[in-house]
Amino acid sequence: MRPSDNINELIKKLQLKASAELDKRVHDDISAALTKSEQTKSVQPQPNIWRTIMKSPITKLATAAIVIIACVIGLSLWRTTSSGIALADVLARVEQVKAFRCKVSFTMNDQIAPDKPYQFEVRSTILLSREYGLKVNAETPDPNGGWMPYAETYISDEKKTCVEIAHTKKKYVREELDYYAETQGDQEEDWSDPGTILKAIIACKYENLGRSTIDGVEVEGFRTTDPNCRSPVSESRWSNPQVDVKLWVDVKTRLPVRFEEFSSSVDERGNTHSQRQVVHDVEWDVPFTAAEFEPPPVPDGYEVLDVPRLNDEETAIQGLKRCIELFGNYLENISDDAGAKGIIFFAFEKSETSTALRLKEEIKGLTGEEKLDRVSDAGEPIFRLIWFYVGLVQDKKEPAYYGKTVTPKDADKVLLRWKVSDSEYRVIFGDLRAETVTPEKLAELEAGLPK
Amino acid sequence: MLEDKLLIWKFNRGNLNVLRGIYEKYKDDLVTLAAALLNDVSSAEDVVHEVFVSFIESSRKFRLTGTLKGYLATCVANNARNKNKARRTHRGIAFDQASPAKADSNNPEFHAIFGEELSQLSWALGQLPYEQREVLILHTYSGMRFKTIAQQQSVSINTVQGRYRYALDKLRSMLNGEIK
Repeated sequence: MRPSDNINELIKKLQLKASAELDKRVHDDISAALTKSEQTKSVQPQPNIWRTIMKSPITKLATAAIVIIACVIGLSLWRTTSSGIALADVLARVEQVKAFRCKVSFTMNDQIAPDKPYQFEVRSTILLSREYGLKVNAETPDPNGGWMPYAETYISDEKKTCVEIAHTKKKYVREELDYYAETQGDQEEDWSDPGTILKAIIACKYENLGRSTIDGVEVEGFRTTDPNCRSPVSESRWSNPQVDVKLWVDVKTRLPVRFEEFSSSVDERGNTHSQRQVVHDVEWDVPFTAAEFEPPPVPDGYEVLDVPRLNDEETAIQGLKRCIELFGNYLENISDDAGAKGIIFFAFEKSETSTALRLKEEIKGLTGEEKLDRVSDAGEPIFRLIWFYVGLVQDKKEPAYYGKTVTPKDADKVLLRWKVSDSEYRVIFGDLRAETVTPEKLAELEAGLPK
Repeated sequence: MLEDKLLIWKFNRGNLNVLRGIYEKYKDDLVTLAAALLNDVSSAEDVVHEVFVSFIESSRKFRLTGTLKGYLATCVANNARNKNKARRTHRGIAFDQASPAKADSNNPEFHAIFGEELSQLSWALGQLPYEQREVLILHTYSGMRFKTIAQQQSVSINTVQGRYRYALDKLRSMLNGEIK
């Protein structure tokens, strides 16, 4: 056969391997971006913190305020100080507040590489209400002078929704809070929980700055420069960490009025990263209207992105139904999200259901990778079931799954269950009915499961 | 592909670590594509690097409408096209026709790119006008539809199909030794 006989086949044979040098370049860039991202995320008054705050039933307004304004000071400050102010008292007062408004100024100076400085600056106004949710308006410097809209965030605790309007990118993103919260990555795990943050900074040393005046208000200040102060702001695995945090509390009201934070560190390649954040103009129990928390309509020319809710009960049931269609039974294990693809493909290969046989016929002649992709696409609801289950585990909702022994014919046997509250569990039975039961009833049901 | 959609979802949530997985999954195909377009491995790797730098910068705003592989292939093609244009500008004439090294299929440069077995093909591809080569490679190697290529090149689908046919005919002639 002459080379020209099948040019298309020849072209498909072309294959190069990326060099180690390219690998290094790309991975270095990703590392640099990760580094920058971690720094940015940890200091911006960004929605992630707020979403987590709003999601958790124990982290209401009081904790939110403390996270923003006081947590970096550390638990050691919760003792009564020599001048009489105890931050425990401050917390108690904050807990009574129904809403507050504050302004946040943030600047980051960074280096992606020695010759690649990077600066990010944003200023935000935050309004948080126990009843309505959260609203953040952020601005960034306009290259032509002044400030321009950067992003708006609206979070409704009641609706469990978040709307983010990225003005500079012209994106309007709507998403379900639960989906986000239950599938967020490990990188946010350390600081998403205010309790974790507070525990982490417990060892901070501090000094009392005494009395001062801010905007005509008599305040008492506290300061820590302890580099071990491990807050969302200062957390870093880099060298030479520098931390300088100040909190100013109104002597009369015992409420925070200003918080200043500076931190810097040097990464493994010698690049310095620093950021400064100031929370100021804090107003407690401010008047507001419900309308202030309503997101505006989609501005003209903005692209709308809807992030679907994937992890509700219906998601789980749809995933279980697809298991029956594809495998004739339930998967034995739905707790391994990393290995989900392999688990699904393995079960598919063994299956002889009509759906599986039809798909097997369709993918005949495809490459191994193409087959894997087609089966993955067919198993999409099962992936979502697995993510749902992993989310339950992460949220410590005491999930249990009995797909190893319970079949679709076991109508009254518990297939999947999770805790809803101290007195309620949600149960999906073998026939995919869902019911809420008491812990006692659940114990009875589970006692009857095949061993 | 669900796996890619999940990767992009995580990526848009700021999980930049997924980029490593995306890169590892597609790097060889992308370098091959760029090298086939540019006939130069070093430039090809630069192109792939640039694509990933842009991709990194698009975190939180990226929206995948087709396949991830298709998106990355499009980015590589766009960057390679720009690089080719820049070469033309610098040299004053088309890069493809400028290098004497391209005139000889026995030149070791072609062996070095895709190996001896495919050196003739590599050489012949290098002789094609860039637009024709791009259509042929994107359609045949990357599996891109003519309609998509037409959108990329801002030409009609008929033009793209014409370039594809010309490219095939010319390659066939060159590989049969009818054109030197």
